[in-house]
Amino acid sequence: MISFIIRRLIAAVFLLIIVSMVVFAIFFILPRWGGQTTYGLATEYVGRNPTRSAVLQMIDQLGLNKPLYLQYWAYLKAIVVGGHYGTGTNSVYCPPPCFGYSFKNQQPVWPAMVSDIPVTLSLAIGAAILWLTAGIGIGVISALKRGSIFDRFSMTIALAGVSLPIFFTGLVALELFSYKWPIFPNVQFVPFTQNPALWARNLVLPWVTLAFLYAALYARLTRAGMLETMGEDYIRTARAKGLPERTVIFKHGLRAALTPILTIFGMDLGLLLGGALLTEYTFSLHGLGLFTIEAVQNQDFPEIMGVVMLASFFIVIANLVVDILYAVVDPRVRY
Amino acid sequence: MAPLLEVQDLRIHFPTDDGLVKSVDGVSFSVERGSTLGIVGESGSGKSVTSLGIMGLHLGTSARITGQIKLDGEELVGADPDRVRELRGGKMAMIFQDPLSSLHPYFKIGDQITEAYRIHHPGATKKQARQRAIDMLGRVGISRPSVQVDAYPHQFSGGMRQRVMIAMALSNDPELLIADEPTTALDVTVQAQILDLIRDLQAEFGSAVIIITHDLGVVAELADDILVMYAGRVAEYGTAVDIFGQPSHPYTWGLLASMPRIDRERTARLVPIPGTPPSLIRVPSGCPFHPRCRYASQTGGRSENEVPPLREVTPGHLSACHLTAAQRAEFWAELSAGKVREDTREPA
Amino acid sequence: MRRKTGMLAAAGVVITLTAAACSSGSSSSSGGNNTTTNAVAFNAGVTGTVNASTRKGGTITFDNSSAPDSTDAGNTYYAFNLNFTRLYATPLTTYKACTGACGDQVVPALATALGTATDNNKTWTYHIKSGVKFEDGSPVTSQDVKYAVERTFDRTVLPNGPSYFASLLAGNAATYPGPFKDRAKNVMALTAIDTPDPTTIVFHLKQPFASFNYVVAFPQTAPVPPDKDKGTNYQLHPQSTGPYMFQSYQLNKQYTLVPNPQWNPSWNPQVKQLPSKIVVNLNVNAPDIDNRLLAGDIQVDQAGSGVQSAARARILSSPNLKANADDPITGFMWFYYINTKVKPLDNIHCRMAIEYAANKTDLQTAYGGPIAGGDIASTAMPPTVRGYSKFDLYNALSKPGGDIAAAKQQLQQCGQPNGFNLNVAYRSDRPREVSSSQALQESLASAGIKVTLKGYTAANYYGNFAGVPNYVHSHNLGMAAGGWGPDWPDAYGWGWALFDGGSIVPAGNTNISELNDSAVNSLFTQLEAATTDSAQNSIAEQIDKKVMQDAAILPAVYSKALLYRPTDLTNVYVQTYYGMYDYATLGLKS
Repeated sequence: MISFIIRRLIAAVFLLIIVSMVVFAIFFILPRWGGQTTYGLATEYVGRNPTRSAVLQMIDQLGLNKPLYLQYWAYLKAIVVGGHYGTGTNSVYCPPPCFGYSFKNQQPVWPAMVSDIPVTLSLAIGAAILWLTAGIGIGVISALKRGSIFDRFSMTIALAGVSLPIFFTGLVALELFSYKWPIFPNVQFVPFTQNPALWARNLVLPWVTLAFLYAALYARLTRAGMLETMGEDYIRTARAKGLPERTVIFKHGLRAALTPILTIFGMDLGLLLGGALLTEYTFSLHGLGLFTIEAVQNQDFPEIMGVVMLASFFIVIANLVVDILYAVVDPRVRY
Repeated sequence: MAPLLEVQDLRIHFPTDDGLVKSVDGVSFSVERGSTLGIVGESGSGKSVTSLGIMGLHLGTSARITGQIKLDGEELVGADPDRVRELRGGKMAMIFQDPLSSLHPYFKIGDQITEAYRIHHPGATKKQARQRAIDMLGRVGISRPSVQVDAYPHQFSGGMRQRVMIAMALSNDPELLIADEPTTALDVTVQAQILDLIRDLQAEFGSAVIIITHDLGVVAELADDILVMYAGRVAEYGTAVDIFGQPSHPYTWGLLASMPRIDRERTARLVPIPGTPPSLIRVPSGCPFHPRCRYASQTGGRSENEVPPLREVTPGHLSACHLTAAQRAEFWAELSAGKVREDTREPA
Repeated sequence: MRRKTGMLAAAGVVITLTAAACSSGSSSSSGGNNTTTNAVAFNAGVTGTVNASTRKGGTITFDNSSAPDSTDAGNTYYAFNLNFTRLYATPLTTYKACTGACGDQVVPALATALGTATDNNKTWTYHIKSGVKFEDGSPVTSQDVKYAVERTFDRTVLPNGPSYFASLLAGNAATYPGPFKDRAKNVMALTAIDTPDPTTIVFHLKQPFASFNYVVAFPQTAPVPPDKDKGTNYQLHPQSTGPYMFQSYQLNKQYTLVPNPQWNPSWNPQVKQLPSKIVVNLNVNAPDIDNRLLAGDIQVDQAGSGVQSAARARILSSPNLKANADDPITGFMWFYYINTKVKPLDNIHCRMAIEYAANKTDLQTAYGGPIAGGDIASTAMPPTVRGYSKFDLYNALSKPGGDIAAAKQQLQQCGQPNGFNLNVAYRSDRPREVSSSQALQESLASAGIKVTLKGYTAANYYGNFAGVPNYVHSHNLGMAAGGWGPDWPDAYGWGWALFDGGSIVPAGNTNISELNDSAVNSLFTQLEAATTDSAQNSIAEQIDKKVMQDAAILPAVYSKALLYRPTDLTNVYVQTYYGMYDYATLGLKS
């Protein structure tokens, strides 16, 4: 088991390095193929109203005239060690991890991203707890009472949940529960450390909106998984041993049915941690999703690069955790 | 002494969208303590359904069960499901065909055995249960049981896994052990070991064993009595000596004749039973075997119309066939000599 | 400035502004000091003040669909921010807090009185009130005001904000690089400004300029302590000289102001210190802002340009909601700049083709229709600016659906008979600008002009994109959406920053057309030297006509705005100069 974990860790590190290479290629090699000059490329990183000397300094800093591997090294070095940007009064030290200097915010990219992480984290984890409970619960009951009214009803609602886009359910939720009947007025993010009760209350609508979509998906998946698992031979054996039905369903059945769902959950959570774009936009919660949207609208290369790296990091980590958990649960996978 | 298990006119029907599936349709037999009953028949003959019915594993499904199943004098059909569950895995235990899929892949085998033990011995401590598991593993021939008790099913070979299943089934000293095709998924050498194991354990524990199989060789090894089933009904029932020595039903003849035998001439062809097993929704009228029976024409039309009753051939040897005893003796003699009567009809 | 209100009496009469004639320094008012308290009704905030009150306390929440161009008072040009920054930055002069034409008057703020002009309006002297302090208690001196003006000269650090000082001041103003580079040499080195003693400041101008009191009304003259200036990061916590000071600022998310304990109301009698907290939320969904406003979750939409179409429909159709709304003529215009350098628009006939082809009715509808958008515009100056005359060179009024035939003729003349490709920049977080740009795209397509729309956020529009000529050229932005209000109520205050060649700057540029017509440039010089009203009006008219002949802008509407005032706000009235509610007088009822 330990060797399994170590191997997975090493694989994750490799994956992150490859991700950094791909990101590097996207931002530093692809533009060249599109015809961008070295000077033009450096301009994108210097920011607003670039003076010639600032651009030249950036070319030097990023090593844009040097061979590719040196450029990549400079880019990695900046992330790990940090760098200086700007001149005179505006000279700023950008501490590691340094993804560059955002000319919109006039400050390094990393602090701007980090301040958005709690919002996305709150949103993603809260919604995840909701959708896991609701989705798996409904899926299990539907599977056990297959064909019943509950089953048909919940699967129909699940179909709706999977089909309705977030910007629809979110706006409807806002209209009904925030404006028409002010049960959750003034939805905006309040940090947990500031006021836990208000933090939770303001997040209820976004949580429910986001969870609705995923719960529907997980209900259907769990139902299918349960139905398949409950038909397995080892379930028959468990019953033949004289175990109570509840033990058969939950200990023997559900645990096996849930493992593939665990993998999917890892993927979903990883993606969501990179920013729940639609939900954040609909509810004006400034997390990594809105950060990404603004970065793209402002064509702020350093910010876009930073958020791509961060989102990739989350996905790799989420998948690593899920892989390890899977091995903990299913001993067949440990080798 | 009364038999440990008595089954009387057991019927197990399943209502489906296509019709009523009569998996078991009037089966009766009994098993004494310490003896072994072999149930043979093709796929779909109702052997597994019968055994599942005895274990009460159809409860909670749509199955309609009538008849009597008496375990040590206690009626199981219509009994309280919780009582049946109490007996299941305790007084009566079952092992299945494919031990890899029948053992839960996530749990250590020791845990799976202790689970079975502690359900039926609620006062036992974890330590006691674990010790019991180790003992049982040792009993079934697993080496280094105190280490292997923490292994996972996928870490064993097929034969070892089946031993584990047997250990699990016997951990509660059941008085009745049902083995459903226990060696079908194993290769021949391992097969022999498992069968030996079952026989040894039976002798040691004094349990009754029902062994279900389509393999006559297995039956010959173990069974004291044999029940031949066809289309959910009993075709022939008697001791092993009876069935192998003087088989008295065309279906049984077909089973025996279709076996490769070392004392037959190599060049002589095997004689399979023509046709395929019947649909259990639309069971053929009269004798269910008649569409495939070479001798159906000999009964003057009764095979198509009348259900043959189960009649005694010799005391304790029953057969459900319209042919007279004399006819059957004659036809069997022919077959034993290697002469196969031409079938003048088209296979059904 | 980008947004401004020209206030009309309910009868809609064009204002004759005599306030601009206060070159001698004392203000004369017209229309009276109107501080009538009105009962809650439609347009009650236009004719008077709603909920007059001196009650203190409560939190006022502002929402903004983007963010101010900067919270640094020396680096901003958006009208809503010129309005808002007075809460923490006090300039030399400001506008009077009263309804109607009265609100266009410039009155002293940090200064004891309006400037004393000598040497034929080329030298202006102001005295600063004594006892004024920064939020940390250190005293404000005239040098802090000089430094505040000096820092606006470096447009790489502070790209936004008007550029009047650079163009009007004498001495070394033309070459002064600002105090950020080579600090030791350049701080306090602008020779055009003298500070003979801690409370006196003297401005030396290149040419006579009668309206200089208006120029110093910009928050660029609010004092900045040199030792606390962090350049671009000063915006994170500007040192306050107003009733409020910064408590916190999370970039792109929120900033919070709390009462400044050093504040003395005599420093600026036009502003009040009523709420105990002011919160500004940034980057909120625009349609959502209206929902929150109507639900009472927030009190003000900081951008102040009116509600979006969905809320507009709700408000106008509900008598209860309508009673809380005001529909002022704001005194400014929405339009599109037509760049004169980006090919093929360097040929005047291609620009004229655009003027003819655009569907003015569709543009008007996109901005909000006649009620909340405004009347279709045909000139480069709105009716509320002195010297306005009505004319229509491109059949905007006679053929509001567009004149495709005439457009095609112009295309022939500029050598593009089949049309051409065009990039149009606009602010993507402003729903009305999104609609109008799409309408523009459709109408120009009928003439064969193929438009590609390029959206940018409002916060960076002027500083990084449309307002950066290098960017405009390298990305071929032929047209750019814009909105404008007069920097002060005459044609110079309206048009210099839009049309004079001297106003073009490398970043934060507002002459996005890059019009550099020597005829127009000299007319502006003449305008400021003119001494009689009729002379000024005639020159204004000539400027207007010449700009339209040059087809440097495509006018859309003379704007109105449908504003909503929540019932718990106090002291709500439409301030004429800013063209929206006065943000510096607001309080809360409960």
